[in-house]
Amino acid sequence: MAISAVARETVFALRRQIAKIEGTLPERLQAPAGAPLDADADADLTIVRRGLAAALPDAFLPIGVEPLDAALSGGLPKAALSEIHGLETRDAGAVAGFALSLASLILKQAQGLPVLWIGTTEIFREAGFPYARGLQVSFGVEPRQLLFSEAPKLVDALWVAEEAARMTALAAVILEIRGNPQRLDLTATRRLHARAQSAGRPVFLLRQAAEPEPTAAPVRLIVSPAPAVPRETVAGPLAGSIGRPAFTISIGKSRTALPGQFTLEWNPDERVFDERRGEEGRTDRAKNPVPVVSLSGGRKDPAAASGAVLAFPALGAAISPATGGQPPSGQRPAHLSPRRAG
Amino acid sequence: MVSHRQGNAQRISALDERAEALHLKRDMGIADARAMHPSIDIVEADPEADRRLLEGLADWCDRYTPLVALDGADGLFLDVTGCTHLFGGERAMLNDIMWRFLQQGFDVRAGLAPTPGAAWAAARFCGDRIVVSGEEEALLAPLPLAALRIAPETRASLESVGLRTAGAVMAAPRAPLARRFGATLLLRLDQALGRLDEAVSPRLPVAPLSVERHLAEPVTLTEDIERLVGLLATTLKTDLERRGEGARTLALLLFRVDGAVSRIALGTSRPMRDPQLIQKLFHERLAALEQDIDAGYGFDLVRLSVLAAAAFDMAQADLTGEVTDDGADIALFADRIRARLGEGAVLQPVAVESHLPERAVAIVPFSEAPRRTTPPKRPERVQAPKTIFPPERPIRLFRAPEPIDVPATEMPEGPPLNFRWRRALYRVTRAEGPERIAAEWWREAPDDAAASTRDYFRIEDAEGRRYWLYRQGLYGGSQAAPRWFMHGVFA
Repeated sequence: MAISAVARETVFALRRQIAKIEGTLPERLQAPAGAPLDADADADLTIVRRGLAAALPDAFLPIGVEPLDAALSGGLPKAALSEIHGLETRDAGAVAGFALSLASLILKQAQGLPVLWIGTTEIFREAGFPYARGLQVSFGVEPRQLLFSEAPKLVDALWVAEEAARMTALAAVILEIRGNPQRLDLTATRRLHARAQSAGRPVFLLRQAAEPEPTAAPVRLIVSPAPAVPRETVAGPLAGSIGRPAFTISIGKSRTALPGQFTLEWNPDERVFDERRGEEGRTDRAKNPVPVVSLSGGRKDPAAASGAVLAFPALGAAISPATGGQPPSGQRPAHLSPRRAG
Repeated sequence: MVSHRQGNAQRISALDERAEALHLKRDMGIADARAMHPSIDIVEADPEADRRLLEGLADWCDRYTPLVALDGADGLFLDVTGCTHLFGGERAMLNDIMWRFLQQGFDVRAGLAPTPGAAWAAARFCGDRIVVSGEEEALLAPLPLAALRIAPETRASLESVGLRTAGAVMAAPRAPLARRFGATLLLRLDQALGRLDEAVSPRLPVAPLSVERHLAEPVTLTEDIERLVGLLATTLKTDLERRGEGARTLALLLFRVDGAVSRIALGTSRPMRDPQLIQKLFHERLAALEQDIDAGYGFDLVRLSVLAAAAFDMAQADLTGEVTDDGADIALFADRIRARLGEGAVLQPVAVESHLPERAVAIVPFSEAPRRTTPPKRPERVQAPKTIFPPERPIRLFRAPEPIDVPATEMPEGPPLNFRWRRALYRVTRAEGPERIAAEWWREAPDDAAASTRDYFRIEDAEGRRYWLYRQGLYGGSQAAPRWFMHGVFA
C-alpha cells in the first residue's frame, strides 16, 4: 500500500537524523529506487538503530566474521574514527596487523588508493617501522600504495592526521600513538572523527600501551595476539609450526554491542578473516583433522561440494537473529558435523 | 684596530680613522704600534665572520640585481645591466646603494662602469664615479698600476722599468709587455677596456622568473606576507602560463628594512601555478618558521622567485567539472606536510633488489617521479624469478636490530628456548626456521663470512606474540660466540 509523499519525507528526515546520531553517512541512506516503502519502514528504522546493516550495506566495513559483524552492527563504520588499542607496546605487531588487515579489506574496494600511516618517532622506534615487504606478503598492500609520515612530536602527527583525514584520495589513514598523551583528548579525537565523517574515509587510531579513555570514536577494539594454529598441510597440521596471524579482539566500546571477545584469523592468501572456532572446534580438528583442514583452511564457505549442507542456510538464518551480538561457541561449529558424518 | 698574524708577527690588518690619525698604518707590527700607543684596542681578525658579513651584504644586494658576485674578501660585483631603470637611472641607483649602506653603518666605495675591471678601478681609486661606455681609457690612464688588478710582483717589476701608471702601460707596445710580464697583464688591461668580455659569476643561480613588490610601509605580520605571496603568485601565474610551465621550486625572499634577508624555499611534487595553492604552501612554511623569522622593523621588499620550473600539462576537465585527480590531491597534501614539517615528513617505501631484509626496502621522501616513469626494461636473466611462496617477512622491522639475551638453545644451531628482550623474559613455545641470510659479499668483504651470516627464526611466545629473531655468526667457529638479535615482529 502506498504512502503519502509527506510521510515519506518524514521518514527520510528521521533516518537522516538517526544516521547523524549513529555517525554513519547520511547520503547513503536513500532508499533504493523503486523499493516499496510500506509499513515495514518502522521495522527498517529499528534495524538501522539496532544496526544489523540490512538497510545500509555501504556504511560499514564488514569484517567478514558473522558474530563480530553482528555485534558491531554490520562491521566497523567506514566513515569514522575507530580506535584500536593494544595493551602493551610489545603487542604492536598484532595491533598493527589487525589494522592492516582492515586496511587490506578496504583496499579491496578502493583499488589503487594509498594508505597513509602516521606515527610519532617514539612509536616507530619502540615498536619498529612498518616493513613494506612484510605488508606485501601478509596483507597484499603494495609498496607504492603506502605512504608514511613520521613526526617527532605528537602535535605534528595529529596535525598531519587531521589534514589527511579530510582527504578523499587516501583509502585509509592510520595514526599510531603510544600511551595516553594529554593532547589526544576528546576534542582532538572529535576533530578527527568529524573530518573522517565528512570525507567518508576511515581513520584508524592505533594506541599502543594505552588505557581506555573517553574519545569521540564510536568503536574501540582491543587487540591482543592469539597463538597461531599450526600450518595446515595435506597430511594434517604441521606440529610446532606457526600458521596464520591470529588476533583476539574484544569490543571495548561500541554503541550497539555488548562487550565480547572474538578470536580471528587472517587469511593472507584470500585476504579475508576467518573466525577461530572455539576450543571444541579445535579438538575436533585434532581428532579428525583431514577433512577439517582441507575445508576450513583455505576457504570461507567450503560447503558447496557437499549435498547434505543444503538445509543449513535456513538453520543459520534461524540462529543468527537469536544469538544477537554474542556468538555461543557451542553453536558455531554446528555445520561441521555433517561433514564429519559425510 | 684589527690584527692578523703574518709570518711570525702580529700585524695590523685593518684600522679605523682614529687609529689612522695616530699615524698607525696597515702591516705595521703590533709590537711597534703598542710601543707608540700603549692604549690601542686590538681585536684578532676573524676572516670567517668577515666572509659571512660580506655574504649577508651580497644577499641584501639581491634587491638590486640577481647577479651578485663576491670579489675577494672585501668587494661585491653587481651586474646591473638592465636593472638601473627600475631605480630611476644609474646615478639614482648608485646613490640609493650608497645611502642605504651608509644607513646600515657601512663605509662603502662604489663605482659604475661598463666593464667589471673599470668599475673595480672606479670604485677603489675614484670613488662614487659613473663611467660611461668609451671612457674607460680616460678613467684608467691616470690611475696607479694597482687599479689594473694585477699581482704585486708584476706591479713591482713594471714599476722597476718606469711604468708607474695604467696610462703608461697602455701606451707601451703590447708584444714586449706580453713577453716580459705574461699574458695576465694584457688580459686585465683588455678586460678593463672592454676589448675582452669578462663574466661575473653570480653567487646564486639566477631564477628564471621572479616577481617582487617594494613596500612603502614595511610589513611585519605573517598574514600580510601571505597575502603578498598570493598577489605575487597571481602575477607569476601569467608568466608561467605564457611559458607553459609550472613551478617546481619556489623561493620567497623577505628583505628586512635593516638589511637582513630571509630566504624561504620550498619544493612541489608536481608543477604548480595556481596562486591559491602557492599561498597555501607558503602558509604552512611560514607557520612552521614562525619562530625563526624575525620581522624586526618589518620587510620592505618581498620577492617570489621560481627557481626551477617544469612543463605543466593541462588536464581537461569533464563537463560536469567533477573530475578529481587523486594523484594531484596527494601531491598537494604531501607538499603541504613537507612545507610545514620538512622534507622527510612524507615517506614512501621503494622495493630494492636485495636479500638483506633491512636493505630490501628503502624509505625515501615522497615524490611523484617513480609513479610516472616506468623503469627501464632489464634483460631477462637479471630479473629474479617470481616465487609463488614469498618468504615470510615481519610487518614491523626495528630500525636497528636489538640485542637479546639467549641463555640456552636446544640444539647448537636451533632456536632459543627462551630469551630476554627489553628486560623481560619470553618463553618460546614454537619456532620456525632457520632461514639463513648471508651478507652481501659483493658490497663489502667481511673479515669472516661466517661472522656476518644470520640465521633467522620465527618465534611464537607463550602469549601468542610472533617475533623474528636471528643469530649472527655460527657456532664452532674460531670467533666469539654468536649473538642473538630481535629484528622484527609479525602480525
